[in-house]
Amino acid sequence: MTGKIVGAVVAGVLLGLYVLPVTILEHTDLIIDIGLMLLLFFVGIDIGLNRSVFTRIRSMGLKILLIPLMIITGSIVGGIVGGSLLGMPFNESGAVGAGLGWYTLSSILMANYSNELSTLAFLANVVREMMAFMIIPLVAKRVGFFSSIGPAGATSMDTALPVISKSTDPETAIIAFISGAICTFSVPIIVPLILNL
Amino acid sequence: MGLRLLMYLAVILLGAIIGAKAKLGDNLKKRLGSIQTACLLLLLLVMGIMIGMDKDVISSFFSIGYSAIVISIFTVGFSILGVKLVSGYVTGGGRK
Repeated sequence: MTGKIVGAVVAGVLLGLYVLPVTILEHTDLIIDIGLMLLLFFVGIDIGLNRSVFTRIRSMGLKILLIPLMIITGSIVGGIVGGSLLGMPFNESGAVGAGLGWYTLSSILMANYSNELSTLAFLANVVREMMAFMIIPLVAKRVGFFSSIGPAGATSMDTALPVISKSTDPETAIIAFISGAICTFSVPIIVPLILNL
Repeated sequence: MGLRLLMYLAVILLGAIIGAKAKLGDNLKKRLGSIQTACLLLLLLVMGIMIGMDKDVISSFFSIGYSAIVISIFTVGFSILGVKLVSGYVTGGGRK
């Protein structure tokens, strides 16, 4: 699966760079919206076909909140560790990590602080999303289903959810959606908070 | 974002209701995986096209791409590690 995912993304980038006319951008948002809705619908069917997942999730209770909490913590700490290797101040690199893959919002939140940091936040979170698509199947297979939610961050409720669903099981897909929603709501709060430390 | 979240939730719920209540044919059930893969690859192709056409991403990639990749690798790595640490506790000892 990873090979197909990498192939599709790379082919898309090359087509966008060298082959297709810019006018196609007028339609890409619509195609993505329709494609995403269709995929989320199929994720729903998978969940509906495996109704016992709700009982299992209920038995885990509030403990499932630990997953988004660890994703947020891991992303911030990872950002700080990576940034320290690059000689960046900890608040700036931590804030980039706290973007959790939501590249548009994290870059906007940093635009008033520094243009350069805003661009880095944008690009680092684009790279994170792409990286997530490519490694989720591998992480699910080798490390564990729940761990495969980690790379996606905030995107585990939308764009990365179909990849997680395809690589794991309906139970993990539901937890990924919940985790992604919590991460999404956290980004506008934690990015400015860390940046102003 | 709130409206979008509700929309995603509604679509997933609709799928779940159909999956649980409607009697889907075995043939369709078998093909669900292939249909999902085809949709997913199309979606990723289009996302790749959007990135390839975004001049800001491409030009900034050559100037600060290295820093972006280093930070991404660590955020992804520590997120995986963080979740792995609590997975056993969340499942009550089961493997996930």
